[in-house]
Amino acid sequence: MPKLDPAKLSAIRKVIKNNGLDSFILTDYNDIKYLMGPIFQPSEAVVIIHAKGVYITARSLYEAPVAADFPEVKIEGCDKDRELKIVEAAKKLKLKKVGFDARKETYFAGKIYTAAGFVEKQNFLVSVRASKTEEELAKMRAAAKIAYKTYKHMAAWFEPGVTEQQGAAELERFMKQNGASGLSFDTIVAFGANTANPHYMTGKAKLKKNMPILLDFGCIYDGYCSDITRTFWFGDKPAVEFIELFNIVKGAHDEVVENAKYGQTGAAIDLIARDYIEAAGYGKYFTHGTGHGIGMEIHEDAYINSNNTDMPIVDNYCFSVEPGIYLTGKFGIRYEDCFYMTKDGMKQIK
Amino acid sequence: MKYTDEKIKNFQAYMKHAKISGCAVTDNDGVNYLSDFNFVGEGDAFLFITLKQAYCFTKQLYAIDVKNKAKYLTLVDSLDCEDIVKLAKKLKLKNCVFDTTCTAYIPGTLFYKNGFKEMPGIISANKEVKTKTEIARISKACSISAKAYDIFRKRLKVGMTELQACALLENIMKELGGEGLAFPTIMAFGPESANPHHTNTDRKLKAEDVVLMDYGCRWGGYCSDITRTFWFGKKPSAEFTKMFDIVKSAYDLGVKLVKPGVAASVPHNSVMELFDNKGKLAKYFIHSLGHSLGTAIHEKPYLNTRSKEVLKAGNVVTVEPGLYFEGKFGIRYENTVLVTEKSSKILTK
Repeated sequence: MPKLDPAKLSAIRKVIKNNGLDSFILTDYNDIKYLMGPIFQPSEAVVIIHAKGVYITARSLYEAPVAADFPEVKIEGCDKDRELKIVEAAKKLKLKKVGFDARKETYFAGKIYTAAGFVEKQNFLVSVRASKTEEELAKMRAAAKIAYKTYKHMAAWFEPGVTEQQGAAELERFMKQNGASGLSFDTIVAFGANTANPHYMTGKAKLKKNMPILLDFGCIYDGYCSDITRTFWFGDKPAVEFIELFNIVKGAHDEVVENAKYGQTGAAIDLIARDYIEAAGYGKYFTHGTGHGIGMEIHEDAYINSNNTDMPIVDNYCFSVEPGIYLTGKFGIRYEDCFYMTKDGMKQIK
Repeated sequence: MKYTDEKIKNFQAYMKHAKISGCAVTDNDGVNYLSDFNFVGEGDAFLFITLKQAYCFTKQLYAIDVKNKAKYLTLVDSLDCEDIVKLAKKLKLKNCVFDTTCTAYIPGTLFYKNGFKEMPGIISANKEVKTKTEIARISKACSISAKAYDIFRKRLKVGMTELQACALLENIMKELGGEGLAFPTIMAFGPESANPHHTNTDRKLKAEDVVLMDYGCRWGGYCSDITRTFWFGKKPSAEFTKMFDIVKSAYDLGVKLVKPGVAASVPHNSVMELFDNKGKLAKYFIHSLGHSLGTAIHEKPYLNTRSKEVLKAGNVVTVEPGLYFEGKFGIRYENTVLVTEKSSKILTK
């Protein structure tokens, strides 16, 4: 029997109170899933959380099953103009200070809410969702374990002549056989010079002896994502330059793991990896941020990049560390694990 | 697959006709649809389309790929919507717009304050009639899903859980060349099939059991959508067989009515009527008959009672009637259907 998680609900209510509101609207698919589990499809429900309860308006077909499964929720079916239904419900509930997330509502919906006197907020649930509960961490560890086991399997699987797509199919089959319910994102398997494109789409290239392989993949376990990247040389004669660059990338990764501190911003942590790679002379070839937040979504707030100057990374925030160096036409190297932040520093999710 | 600028060109022709000189597109689906590129998530790229150019604001990590594969995009190394506004000013464009139904509140407010006009639904309206390239890609995604069903039936075994069967099906699509999923696969066994939005569980397949699978893949950025319900075993209950035949006849009626010039509400209403004539079954059909699809799994026009549109050649819609008996079983039958010049064509086969 699904139930609203009391820990998550009270965390949201605390933020509502701290923001001087009496209620808050959730529209975003993942925000609703965070609270209730995977019940609604995207754009099919709107939720108001207030001090006394939870009100939902959703497509009519959800009315009966949700009312049966969540006794503490009041749900009303509505197949059209759910924004207006929400305004009406807030009035009936006598809510005075209703907040909405300006980053997650459309301009169309935001205008209706603003006209109704609702309060525009940004990044409202960021701290709640970034800081994982023990239960969430357990799920993320389970997802990571499958990914690491899969990497071991794949490292021994490749042989000359297989295509990138065949590699991805085997990798995904193995993750699912080992308990994954799905993929965190479309698997990247890149051979040879294709590794130099950080945004590569797995294709039909065939594997030959003595070229690099880059695997960037992850799975979903009980709703939570894993994400790892490994780059390795296939064959017994790795290019000298490959080994040199691999050591720089791995060094940047380890430098972050050892030195990032509780309370540092994403930008400060990003700088640790960036300084390291720059000192080695490859700064301009590190063409993306050091990492991203991770949880129910593969990319969440808690970005580890130069833009994130105002968000301290604290209690159980989960994020990836994935520095890389990309030499167009030659090869690219990326090395990635995920971590959570504690008062004692970063701990690997594994 | 080759990336194409034909959707940008079509959109620019529309802009010219509507006397629009610039359009800001900031949502992931809108950006991917127009650019024909595959940016991974919200906020990875924005477009500013003028009559002459398509400016692409994105991160450095996409730059190599965009330069190589989508030469028709003019790259701008910024992800700040203020820079879209600045560009519009620099180009001295008079009539700039944004789509209020897909632009988020924050960039929307910024555009509005800077004189951009509110145009609800212009992107979705331009998505409704598919180009030949789009139809070819959807057809490919559809044929992968349909082939996957045949292979899946041979490999499905008693004792598999819904989650395992789902993994099997998804992997078959991958082997057949599917690039990813169109939406999370629904794999429902036994009474679970009565929930049209079931979430897959550890329930095991029994020797005599109902199986409902609703799934689809992506190819070239485009979706497919198909549902099959069948009795696993040799002794289908008389009730299941009877209801299956009724759903199938509703599907046949629905498809027959899908053709150019027909109001999009007509197939749905006629199917409701058919269900009502078969022993008052309409109350067990608890969703709409179908939706369009493209780069997004749910697009306009919808086949439901509120739909005000008229079907046109080039629309791609699903026809998916179903009956749901709580505690017992549910049946849904669905294909993705192309509206052709004179009638329609089933793509999921």
